[in-house]
Amino acid sequence: MQDFEFYRPGNLLELKEYLSLPGARVLAGGTDIIPKMRQGKFTAPILVDTSGVKSLDFIEDQGERIVLGAMTTHQQLAESRLIQETNPALREAAASIGCIQTRCRGTLGGNIANGSPAGDTLPPLLIYDAEVLLQSLEGERSLSLEKMILGPGQTALEPGELIHSISYQPLKGKWGSCFLKVGKRSGMAISVVNAAGAVVLDSSGQIADVRLALGAVGPVVIRCLETEKSLLGKRPDQGIFQQASEMVQHEINPIQDVRSTTSYRAHAGGVIAARVLGIAAERAARRKD
Amino acid sequence: MKEIKVKFILNGSPIEVLSSPNRTLLDVLREDLGLTGAKDACGGEGECGACTVISNGKPINSCLVFIGQVEGAQVLTIEGITPKDGYHPLQKAFVEAGAVQCGYCIPGAVLVAKALLDTNPHPGDREIKEGLSGNLCRCTGYQKMVDAVHLVIDGGLDD
Repeated sequence: MQDFEFYRPGNLLELKEYLSLPGARVLAGGTDIIPKMRQGKFTAPILVDTSGVKSLDFIEDQGERIVLGAMTTHQQLAESRLIQETNPALREAAASIGCIQTRCRGTLGGNIANGSPAGDTLPPLLIYDAEVLLQSLEGERSLSLEKMILGPGQTALEPGELIHSISYQPLKGKWGSCFLKVGKRSGMAISVVNAAGAVVLDSSGQIADVRLALGAVGPVVIRCLETEKSLLGKRPDQGIFQQASEMVQHEINPIQDVRSTTSYRAHAGGVIAARVLGIAAERAARRKD
Repeated sequence: MKEIKVKFILNGSPIEVLSSPNRTLLDVLREDLGLTGAKDACGGEGECGACTVISNGKPINSCLVFIGQVEGAQVLTIEGITPKDGYHPLQKAFVEAGAVQCGYCIPGAVLVAKALLDTNPHPGDREIKEGLSGNLCRCTGYQKMVDAVHLVIDGGLDD
């Protein structure tokens, strides 16, 4: 294991101070960074552990928005009633990550900072137009999640900057959302393709709003805007979701890698896109308000 | 490399260790403290669960935690749940159900099961299987582990 200096600040200000040191990187849960360091795929002269900064560990309903501290673990998301009530797709995604041991360590902030095209929390956050709050000694700025993730493993984080929190606006009216993924096995597998969908129905049962995002089918998680547009104003049934499934395959741009082939990813992407939309529509139809 | 001092609670007793920061909790448990119940079976990828310990009530892979991250935590290892003379009910149940063959994965599996039962005393089959999904076994398989957890839940253990 490579050498590094280690700091464990006890509050947010100290964390920002340590992070301003040249070469300093955040160590959150460590479930991705530590194996990468062993393989020599991640190096940093200074690691700043965030586990002592309790003010980054929260799930809050702030009225207009739900705000999630960067240190919220996947297990906390999976067990949160507020997440289930406002973004069931995110709860399902968090519950599907790794195993209990890694969910208890891995954090939401870490999943975003990794910028993995296969990051499971990203599609459910993207369909809710999530915002990321970044902070440093210099100040803070807010970015859409879309602008935050630039490419595989690349984010808009500047040196000295940390993810403070992630927020999203709950959907209103008769809505439903859902997350599904395809992997090699149910425990521990990294997604071959994942998808989150949300559907809002108007009083006549037609689609008033629809959002669809797919992961691991391009350099970054993708919102399928064309497919979304084609579904607006339609009545949700198997037929239109089948058409959506075909459209999705033209909007995504999967690669071939150790986990899967281009053609399998395109096909599976279409299949789970139709499924998440179908389930989201059913959930919307069941909602009473 | 500069060593760091880390204080935490290990199996109920406060402890202070001095280590270079690039070592994991698993390294320190096994190499410095002689607690070899936690094991490395996957090369530190977090894939196998053999190094599982319970930290602040939650099961974690001790190979995926740098020692400095343990500061202030309550850590429980398989040694800590084993009474001086005898065995923890889960340990007895694993033996009784025939879940143990080579034994390498068992401390991790027992601790995951303990953490599960501590938060959910009556898990269903599905919850037990999900709970154990991060623990690889290459001998007896998983059904017997699930049976073992059921033995404890149902109180079907012989004394």
